[in-house]
Amino acid sequence: MATTTPSRRGVPDRAHAVRSGAGAGGAAGRGRRPGPRKDRLSVQNLPGWMFSTPFLALFLTFMAVPIVATFVMSFTDFGLRNVADPFATEFVGVENYARLFDDERFLTSLFNTFYFVVLGVPLTVGAGLFAAVLLNRGVGRLRTFFRVGFYAPVVTSIVAVAVVWRFVLDPADGLISGLASEVGLRSPDFLGSKALAMPSLIVMAVWRNLGTAMVLFLAGLQGIPAEVREAARLDGAGVWQEFRRITVPLLRPTMLYVSVMTTIGFLNVFEEPFVMTEGGPDNATMTVSLDMYEQGFKFFHMGYASAMAYVLFTVILAVTLLQLRLLKDKTR
Amino acid sequence: MQPMTRIAAATAATTALALLLSACGSGGGEQTSAKDKQTLTVWGMGEEGKHLAKLGKEFNKKHPNITVKVTPVGWDVVHQKLVSAVAAGELPDMAQMGSTMMGEFIELDALEPVDTKTFKKGDFFPAAWNGGVKDGEAYGVPWYVDTRALFYRTDLADKAGVKKAPATWEDQRDLAKAYKDKAGTKWGTYNQPANVGAWQTWLPFLYSAGGRLLDDSGKPALDSPESVEALEEYASYFDENLSRKSSPPDYDVVKDFGSGDAPMFISGPWIVNNIKDQQPQLKGKYATAPLPAGKSSTSWVGGASLVTFKDSEHKAAAEEFTEYLTGTKQQAHWYEMAKSLPANQAAWNEPELKNAPEQLDAFEKQLKTAKTVPPLAKWEELAAKIDEGVARVSQKGESPKKTAAWMQKAAEGLVG
Repeated sequence: MATTTPSRRGVPDRAHAVRSGAGAGGAAGRGRRPGPRKDRLSVQNLPGWMFSTPFLALFLTFMAVPIVATFVMSFTDFGLRNVADPFATEFVGVENYARLFDDERFLTSLFNTFYFVVLGVPLTVGAGLFAAVLLNRGVGRLRTFFRVGFYAPVVTSIVAVAVVWRFVLDPADGLISGLASEVGLRSPDFLGSKALAMPSLIVMAVWRNLGTAMVLFLAGLQGIPAEVREAARLDGAGVWQEFRRITVPLLRPTMLYVSVMTTIGFLNVFEEPFVMTEGGPDNATMTVSLDMYEQGFKFFHMGYASAMAYVLFTVILAVTLLQLRLLKDKTR
Repeated sequence: MQPMTRIAAATAATTALALLLSACGSGGGEQTSAKDKQTLTVWGMGEEGKHLAKLGKEFNKKHPNITVKVTPVGWDVVHQKLVSAVAAGELPDMAQMGSTMMGEFIELDALEPVDTKTFKKGDFFPAAWNGGVKDGEAYGVPWYVDTRALFYRTDLADKAGVKKAPATWEDQRDLAKAYKDKAGTKWGTYNQPANVGAWQTWLPFLYSAGGRLLDDSGKPALDSPESVEALEEYASYFDENLSRKSSPPDYDVVKDFGSGDAPMFISGPWIVNNIKDQQPQLKGKYATAPLPAGKSSTSWVGGASLVTFKDSEHKAAAEEFTEYLTGTKQQAHWYEMAKSLPANQAAWNEPELKNAPEQLDAFEKQLKTAKTVPPLAKWEELAAKIDEGVARVSQKGESPKKTAAWMQKAAEGLVG
């Protein structure tokens, strides 16, 4: 069991890697501290323990235990039958994992998830950066209005978002179809076509998530000292040069953070296909999280769904480590 | 947005509960006599859940010692909730259970067998009763039945020059074309193209083609020539652009029926009520008809049964309430309340049903020949595979023959 309780702080470094990973999307790579210190359960430390107990209790119950239980379950055949009779659960070794790579639907889900990430992340990061730069320098008094506007999708309920987007995309009487017919064109069936369903969801996801990226980039932009820009301008840098030579390099830490978080979020994509297409048409928008949800809670293949969870976790871990490596090296 | 952790947490919570509570779950405990003062907990589903609460109050007037507490549960979450409740040992005493879910809960050993001295098989529609029978033991008392028939716009049919209700598949296709070409509707019909529950529209095609879900030995029969034929027929509507190729998960066909965009579709009797509420202007402008025939006009029987759970301590009271709900008079009353069709055959002779709107006649006719969905432990999964098969043909990607073979292969692991 990997936790971050203070009592385990003394363990060697190797455990840290596991620890930060098992936090599933938590801050990676932090917490490296020299040697053991005197932090046993003493009277001095009592208040500290008291303050952290509620969090620890919740963390253990709702994060650590499920994470471990899911891992154990991924090696069992836990299913509907075992709901009534849990003691009949059998260990099946890596069978669930082996089955996954033979499962047409899962492979499609995996492919779709990558498709979503490969297209969606750069677009979200790019659009977020673009919006942030724009809002940071211009648009005068309307600035606040636009900031709110771009951020609104982030805090809007997915159900409301779904209603709006279905109206936009509806081939019969939607917004796009209406505009298209004005100029004598016919609107394609965005969500009903195998080729267009995923791109449509990606556009929607970018729209929903670029607000988060924008806010982070705005914060980053405002952290760039005005003197640096001024100096650049005095040296005769144009807008583009200033952006390339000043903004982008100084924004790199923000860029790293935004990319990593967006990628993790997009690898977990669930809500868009869940509310818009239920994974259809013909699994064209089935993602790993949605597949996992259906295997687990519709068909009650808990063991199998748990194995999916761990495969997805491994993918996320690998992608995140890769990103950290690629993007970090450049900052030096 | 962290579904993975959420799912992981829920998964583990389910197991933990199952492990903790299984020890005290089984056994059933002390039985309370029907005469004692007690509260009977019942889960009802969707619209029926709301009406059931009213019936509970009426029942309480006659049996002052039994308070009926009804919890309405949405159809979309009911499966998940029931299975979790089995795991947690927190089932109510009784529930309304959808016909296609019976097999699974019999398999889970959660249901109390029906006392056949109190409830007689012959009183109910055979298909409805048989849907809850496994190995000769009945586990549910049929409460209401529903079957699918054809709804079509008569005013638009007139405009398209069609005077008669379609009686065969050919008529149906011709009518769809006429709607589109001559009456200028957007689509000719609505065949559910994909998503959860698409099997409900396709199954009548399979049955009417003479096909079956399972053969005599209980093996899937989804690659039979009849199944291929049913898929071909179904797919032709999409190929010829007579039916929309996609619809959102919560698509409401009644709206498009009202606007005339989808002037024809196959659905159940509750739609009569929905049309009355949502599209009152359609009064006199539409009709229902038995399903157009392939080899035959055969629909499937759905509906719900009343079940008592094994762990209940109020089995005697549950039996009284079930008896009350499935009695002839009550069933006719129930029809008036919810427009659900009585499972009790005698109720059809009561005045309430004799005077029912003519739109329901088609359903009564259809019920006589309708076939059931066999009680299967993994029905939910099989249904999802059929949904996927339907999506495959409706999206034009695959041939009916190939799809039938695929469905067969997918079903083989789930049945038997």
